[in-house]
Amino acid sequence: MIGDVIGQSLRQPNRIIPVEALLGNCDGSRMPEIVAERLTPAIAQRITEVCPTGALGMEESGGHGCLKLSYGDCIACGKCIESGAGAVVRAKRFTWCGVPKAQIVRLWDIDGCLEITPHTPSSDEARGQIHSLLQRALNIRQLDAGSCNGCEAEITALTNPYYDLERFGIHFVASPKHADMLLVTGPVTRNMAEAVKATYEAVAAPKLVVAVGACGCSSGIFAGSHAIVGAVDAIIPVDGYIPGCPPTPAMLVSGILKVLQRHVAR
Amino acid sequence: MLAIPHTKDGALARLVAIFGSIGPHREKRVHYIFDLGDTDYQEIVLPASGPLDSIALRVPAAAWFERELRDQYGIKIVGHPDLRPLVFHDNWPDGVYPMVDRVKDVPWTKREYRFLQVQGEGIAEVAVGPVHAGIIEPGHFRFSVVGDTILHLELRHFYTHKGTEKLFEGSSVSSGAMIAESVSGDNCFAHAVCYSQAIEKACGTEVSPRASAIRLIGLELERLICHTSDIGGLCADVGFGVAAAYATRIKESLLRASVDCCGTRYWRGVAVPGGLRFDCDSGNVLELALAVARAYSDFSEIAGLILETPSIQDRFETAGVVRQEVARELAVVGPVARASGMKLDVRLDHSYGHYKNCQFEVPVMDDGDVMARARIRIAEAAVSARLIQETANALPHGDPLVPVNPRGEVQGFSAVESPRGELCYWLNALDGRLTRCYVKSPSFQNWPAMPFAAEGNIIADFPLINKSFNLSYSGCDR
Repeated sequence: MIGDVIGQSLRQPNRIIPVEALLGNCDGSRMPEIVAERLTPAIAQRITEVCPTGALGMEESGGHGCLKLSYGDCIACGKCIESGAGAVVRAKRFTWCGVPKAQIVRLWDIDGCLEITPHTPSSDEARGQIHSLLQRALNIRQLDAGSCNGCEAEITALTNPYYDLERFGIHFVASPKHADMLLVTGPVTRNMAEAVKATYEAVAAPKLVVAVGACGCSSGIFAGSHAIVGAVDAIIPVDGYIPGCPPTPAMLVSGILKVLQRHVAR
Repeated sequence: MLAIPHTKDGALARLVAIFGSIGPHREKRVHYIFDLGDTDYQEIVLPASGPLDSIALRVPAAAWFERELRDQYGIKIVGHPDLRPLVFHDNWPDGVYPMVDRVKDVPWTKREYRFLQVQGEGIAEVAVGPVHAGIIEPGHFRFSVVGDTILHLELRHFYTHKGTEKLFEGSSVSSGAMIAESVSGDNCFAHAVCYSQAIEKACGTEVSPRASAIRLIGLELERLICHTSDIGGLCADVGFGVAAAYATRIKESLLRASVDCCGTRYWRGVAVPGGLRFDCDSGNVLELALAVARAYSDFSEIAGLILETPSIQDRFETAGVVRQEVARELAVVGPVARASGMKLDVRLDHSYGHYKNCQFEVPVMDDGDVMARARIRIAEAAVSARLIQETANALPHGDPLVPVNPRGEVQGFSAVESPRGELCYWLNALDGRLTRCYVKSPSFQNWPAMPFAAEGNIIADFPLINKSFNLSYSGCDR
């Protein structure tokens, strides 16, 4: 019987996704992208009103009316895509996984129909460095600070035969004492605040912290609740942010690698 | 004093939920929901301006509900055997009740929480969690052991309590679905459908046959994904790597097929009050059904392997037994109940949506051990795969979304058989805004049975027993 299963398994096609196809991929995430040419003040106003978490907002910058999109707050509900009359679409590629806090917000000049924020280096440019980067081992300790378990489900998927994180020398460890990186999900609840701090303290320096998901980045849909303390960076220092609700496994891989890359370059 | 209703054959009715609400004149009320074996659930509402008599000694399943009621509403409970705080931990001050008043900037305090002490020669305590070794949600387990044998297990949960029910208040009926999806992420579709059904009942809305049918496909797919993942997890916990890896591959194939059909991996943002946010293309639904057929054929292969491998049988059989009396007294639900001899399934007992047009049986077993729970999941996966095929092959026509009109004050209750069991939403809305939304997750009801399953087993078997329940911490804690 077991022989049959192994035989069947060997006949299965190889499902592993090459790293090049993972970087920047965001299929199944419904993250929004702005089509600057189609943006009008009326559309900007409307999509800001339908956004449930304030990820979209209007602000002034250099005397211009601007549309702000903070990916850290976005729960990928798709309401802006529905009411954006073509000015908001599903992102085909997404390169904001693993960026530091300053880069997670994008701004568009509404009157000039153009993006003001500097272009973030796309994963394509980073590709060359990835292989040298992956000769290193990285031990990750996942920490749930109060998530809904959506992010956990996607992080668990990283070990399946499609993503197989272990091929990169990256693996999940049981103790924070063995970890180089903490992957923290969820808004930090009051009841978890102490445990989150203690876990962070238990990781030996140098250590990296990555906030995962809308809740980890900004508290997401739980912002303002009496039972939470806030986003992960309200409690411990964070090196990189992976937006999404939940981020897909490909977005998680892209984000983990981008944080690692920045750290190695430093 | 509450007169607990009885079923036709004279037994005490099954407790479904106890929760509080605030009435129009700011008065506290307590709602009891019972299942009498009729098509409809029975709801009893009592005023709770004064102390409330506990029913926990007659109906042990009420114990956690009453403690939650006390923590959230400050209702004094009389005659309860254990009134330690449940939802709020040491950091929460006495006398602050978030469901009664809008609370902000709650001060941090230090209360003392006493675990039950088991005393005697050679007894040791093992504390596990809240942070566990692995990609798991947080919770605390306090074992009292003699050698390897568990004498007593005490749970301390609510580490992921996020005040979700309070967040519903003031939200519009349409955006409430997004909050419902974040109660338990891996069962987000069941939550969205159950919430939407409660709104539809409150407003007297009838969704189209097409929306109902696609909802059924999503619900059964969620069950298939969940059960596949559980069977894989059980194999991983006994070191049976081949089958565990196989299961993760099957699960991923279903998640990827979902993206092609509805745009997201876990069917997030698909179900809303009134039906579905968008129509799924019939061709894509058929593609999904094909992917399900392939996945199920692979799944049945590993399922056969598991049931025939002696080392697996050795670990699964007689481990973590939940006896039928315990299951009944604690009113457990879902696969855990069905593995302990309780024939219970919302899809049949209180049928809803497209299930009314479907013919199927639910498996029931008597052993109550890890093997029984595994067998139940394997058998249920077969039913889910078949229901998806049948529904996809005869997908009705109709508008995906019909308008919902929540004018004035409306109230609705809905139950759905989620992969973990009976999930309920009770809600009240005023002019299109929610004033109360109560969520009964099956995990809240099943966690109290865990200590009974663990008792007498060795501590090394606990991860396996825990996995065989597969409960959501976030769903329980909300």
